[in-house]
Amino acid sequence: MTDERDLIRLIEGDCSPEEAAAIQAWVVADPRRIELLDELRALWRLTGGGTDAAHRWDVAAARQRLRRARAAGRPGSGAPQPQRYARPNAPAWARRVFVAATVVAIGVGVGTLVGGRGRSAAQGREYATAPGRRATVSLADGTRIQLSVDTRLRVAPGYGAGERAVELDGEAYFVVRHDPRRPFIVRTQRGTARDLGTEFAVRAYRQEPYLQVVVATDSVALQSATGGASAALTLRPRDRGVIDERGRVSVDPGVPLERYVGWTRGRLVFDDTPLAAVAAQLGRWYDLDVRLADPSLGDEHVTITFAAESADEALSALAKVLDLRVTRAGRSVRLATAPRPRSSASDTSITPAVLVRGE
Amino acid sequence: MLQLPRPPAFPAPEAQSPPDESPGWDAALELYYAELCEYTIRLVGSAETAQDVVHDLFLHLWDTRGPRDVVRLTRPYLYAAVRNQALKYLRRCRVAGAWIERASREEAAAADSPSDIYLRAELEHTVERAIAELPPRCREIFLLRRRDQLSYEEIAARAGVSLGTVKSQMWRAAVMLKEKLAPYLACALSVIVAGVK
Repeated sequence: MTDERDLIRLIEGDCSPEEAAAIQAWVVADPRRIELLDELRALWRLTGGGTDAAHRWDVAAARQRLRRARAAGRPGSGAPQPQRYARPNAPAWARRVFVAATVVAIGVGVGTLVGGRGRSAAQGREYATAPGRRATVSLADGTRIQLSVDTRLRVAPGYGAGERAVELDGEAYFVVRHDPRRPFIVRTQRGTARDLGTEFAVRAYRQEPYLQVVVATDSVALQSATGGASAALTLRPRDRGVIDERGRVSVDPGVPLERYVGWTRGRLVFDDTPLAAVAAQLGRWYDLDVRLADPSLGDEHVTITFAAESADEALSALAKVLDLRVTRAGRSVRLATAPRPRSSASDTSITPAVLVRGE
Repeated sequence: MLQLPRPPAFPAPEAQSPPDESPGWDAALELYYAELCEYTIRLVGSAETAQDVVHDLFLHLWDTRGPRDVVRLTRPYLYAAVRNQALKYLRRCRVAGAWIERASREEAAAADSPSDIYLRAELEHTVERAIAELPPRCREIFLLRRRDQLSYEEIAARAGVSLGTVKSQMWRAAVMLKEKLAPYLACALSVIVAGVK
C-alpha cells in the first residue's frame, strides 16, 4: 500500500522503477499529494546542504558503463526494463575535488578555450569562450571562475605570488578563495573589483558602456579606472555596483541575484530590459546574429526568463511576449513587428508565435 | 509549453565522425552527469531509471556525434534532451498520464547555484537549529540519511532498528521540519516552481 512516507523514497529515487510508477500514480490521484510532494522536495533541497548531487553520482562508473556499451555496440540500456546498476548511494562516492589549474569547458570541451595549457603561471594564461559557450576555470589557489559566453579572461603573470590579478572582457562569476595577503583583483576596461572575501559576478563587455559588479556573498571593493578615491566604494551582498562610461560609480542595493547570476546555471533573466540588450545577449548566448528590423523596436522593454531552451524555443518565447515575427536562417535572426492579425483578444494564450526558418 | 528539441534521429555518417574520442562528449559527461541524474530523478522517481535514462542519452549522443556536438553538448540542450528521453520512458512504462503531463513541465533548476548559496547563508542557521531540535532518535536517523547518505538498510543496521522504524522516523523528521521551516519552504518552493514564460 502506498502512503505518504513513500513520497520521501520517490524524491530520493530510492525505489524500483515499478514502485516509482505506483507511487507516481498515487500522487497524481490527489492534488493535495502533489502539493505535499512539492513541499517535501523543497524541504529536501533546504536540508540537503546543496552538495549532494556531485558526490551522490558516480561519474567514473557511468563513463565505464558507456564505454562498455559502445564497445559491445549495444543500442542502449533497454529501458523500460532497465538493468540493475550500481546504486547511486553505493559507498564509493569520492568527493569531487577540483584539481589545481584544471580547465573544464562547458560546451564542446577544451576546444572552446584558447591557451590555458602547458604554460606556467609565470607567463600568465588566457582563457576565452566563444559565443554560445561557457567554461569553468579552476585556479591553483582554489578560486573558481565561471566564464559566460564570448568572454576572455587573462590571468596575469605571477598570479598568486603577490596579488592575484585577472583581466576580464565579458562576464564571469568569481568564487574567490580569500587570502588577505594576496588580494584578488579583477581588472576591466572601466574599473577594478577587488575581493574582500567573496562571491561576485562581473560584467564588462567591450561593446557595452558600463562595468557591473553584483555581489552574492561578503564584499567587493569597486574602483573606477578614471576616478580617484571618490570613484570607489565597497559593495555588500545583493549590491549591484555600476561604473558608467564617464567613470561614475553608483550602487543599487538589494537586487535580485537571480537576475544577474542566473546565467551561471543556464538561466537568462531579463527584467524590464530594452529589447536591444536582450537581442545582444541572446546573440552571445546562442551564437546568433540577432538584428532588429526596426531600430525603434530596441527601446521596447521586456521581462522574460529563458531556462535550458534551444535558440528556437527562446526566440519563439520572445516573439510570443512581444508579438514579434522571427525569421531565422542559420546564424542570422531577424526580429520584426508581427502583422496585426485580428482583434479578438480572448485567446491570446494560444496565439502562435511566428518562427520562420530559412535554410 | 514549447515543443522541446529532440535528438536527431539520423545516424552520423562514420566518415564524418571524429576518429576516436570526442573531447566535448567526455567533458559534458563529467560536468553534467550528476545534475542530469538529479533532474531526471524528479521525473522518473527512481535513481536506477534516472541513470539508465542519462546513459541512453549519452550513448545516443555518442552514436550520432559529429559537427552538431557544438550545439548538442550544451547544458540547455542536454536538459531538454534528457527530459524527452525521460518522458519517452514514462510513456512506455504507462505511468499515469497526469504524472507525465506534470513531468513535462518540470523545470531544469540546478541543485546548487550562487543565489542559492546566498540564500543558504541566510537559512543555514535556521535549518541547523530546526534539525537540532528534532527528538534525538529522529535526528540521528535523519542525519545518517541526509548528511552521511547511508541507505535505509545501513541506517537500520547501524541504529539497531527495523527498516520500518527508519522509514517512520524519516517521515516524522520530515513532518516536523516542514512545520518549523514552513516560511522558508515557501521561498524554496518558489525557487523550484518559478516557471518559464
